Amino acid sequence: MATYSGKRKRAVVLLALTTVMLITLDIRGGGASSGVRSVFGSVFRPVEGVARVVTRPVSNAWYGITNYEDVVDENELLREKVAQQEGAAVAAAASVRLAQELLALNGLPTLAGINSVTAQVIGDSPSNFSQTVEINQGSENGIRVGMPVLNAAGLVGKVTRVYDDRSIIMLITDPAYALSVKIVKLPEEPEPAIPGEAVPTTTTTTTTLPAPTTSFIAGFTPGTTTIPDQVTRPTVQVPSLTVPVGNVDSVRETGVLEGRGPTRLPIVRFIDSSQRFGRVQVGSPIVTSGGSLSLAPPDIVVGTVSRINERLGTAGPVLEVSLVADLTNLSFVRILLYQPVTEQNGTPSSSVAP
Amino acid sequence: MQRLIAILGSRWTRLVLVALVLLSIQTTLLNELRPFGVMAQVLVLFVASAGVLYGSEIGAIAGFVVGLMYDAVLTTPLGSTALVFALVGAAAGGLPYFVREPTWWSRVAVVVVMSALGEVLFPIVQAVIGYEGWVQPRMFFVALIVALVNVILAPVVLLLTRWTLKESLGG
Repeated sequence: MATYSGKRKRAVVLLALTTVMLITLDIRGGGASSGVRSVFGSVFRPVEGVARVVTRPVSNAWYGITNYEDVVDENELLREKVAQQEGAAVAAAASVRLAQELLALNGLPTLAGINSVTAQVIGDSPSNFSQTVEINQGSENGIRVGMPVLNAAGLVGKVTRVYDDRSIIMLITDPAYALSVKIVKLPEEPEPAIPGEAVPTTTTTTTTLPAPTTSFIAGFTPGTTTIPDQVTRPTVQVPSLTVPVGNVDSVRETGVLEGRGPTRLPIVRFIDSSQRFGRVQVGSPIVTSGGSLSLAPPDIVVGTVSRINERLGTAGPVLEVSLVADLTNLSFVRILLYQPVTEQNGTPSSSVAP
Repeated sequence: MQRLIAILGSRWTRLVLVALVLLSIQTTLLNELRPFGVMAQVLVLFVASAGVLYGSEIGAIAGFVVGLMYDAVLTTPLGSTALVFALVGAAAGGLPYFVREPTWWSRVAVVVVMSALGEVLFPIVQAVIGYEGWVQPRMFFVALIVALVNVILAPVVLLLTRWTLKESLGG
């Protein structure tokens, strides 16, 4: 019994040491782990495909039982929203065109100049402790690790693993996700006049300017996600890649967005406490800050400030962010073919690169 | 030829093949049926069953193999799930120390508890590695739902594990 016990202990310890060695090798970014995953993926993919076909009726029955009422309600709601949005979309398209022309005239970068690939979401993470989705486009279409992923509403996440014909996207809500963002200042409301205060009586000649007619469209991102007619793999035609200029000065990083899992809102930390910006307000839009080292180009809509947690000292406030993209219901996404200078040499396989 | 038949008939070959099928069920069916937003975990149940039925050594090896296969489809570091599963398998093998003659329901109880513990251990191991953020109260809710679902699945998985890791199919 003692011999058996010793042998058993040795086996368990040996296995534990092996796993620790594997973890170390993977975290240090060796190519071996990517190779193992790639080979296993090639073997496993057909088995999974068969399982998907076989289990589809069971999944459909489950959805039929649990989600029927929700789907009917959602369908009605969406019909109403589509009717509302049809009119707004025409006005929005005109506004976007105007904005893009203005940005181009001033030599400012716009998302319209960055090529993108549209992909269908084909799976979720098979784990309770990972916030990823799988899409049906990969390196054959020009996708690389680190590229930003959007849907029609705004930023969704980033590419963390790429295979030939599919990729894994880490969602913004994953605790391993981090990205530099900036908070857009809301227009300040005019201060109300204090009762009883003397009003200056100088006589001036005023010229009334017409009120601006642009309207704010919540969650609107320039460029729309185009849904292909057929959701099968499109013709492989790798679009050109956009790389920011390397020696451009870094844009001021206003804060760092960090995911906190599916049940908690992401937060923005390390906010610059300079007074030139003023006070952060609830409802302020949050967009990507861009810059030569950032994984995303500037001005992609992320969300709005939903709560401000003030902290003592110089730590600065922590902002909770209400995302504009509905991550629970992703069908199609757009991958911007954008890579910062730091990611150009090879395609790092690390899944935690911020 | 004789050698090939022996390899194909070995318990470890069956383990890999059955784990492949269970993994495909995990990534397809169980990935979609999420009661209360939580995915059932049949792989950790399988590993715990291996430990309960065949002891700590077999449980740990089965956990290592199945965990490594699961790691290959996750984005977490290769080896982290293998470590958790190996520990679950080894711990589940401790049942004979506490129960002299295990009954079917005591085995079910142990595999359910061990699979729930595995779900708690997973985010802890991730935090130790450096992937912080998953150690939060939700993990206990996840463990509870996994345990409840596994109460239903355990009898079937115990039978499957018994067949898979049997030393010889004829016996």
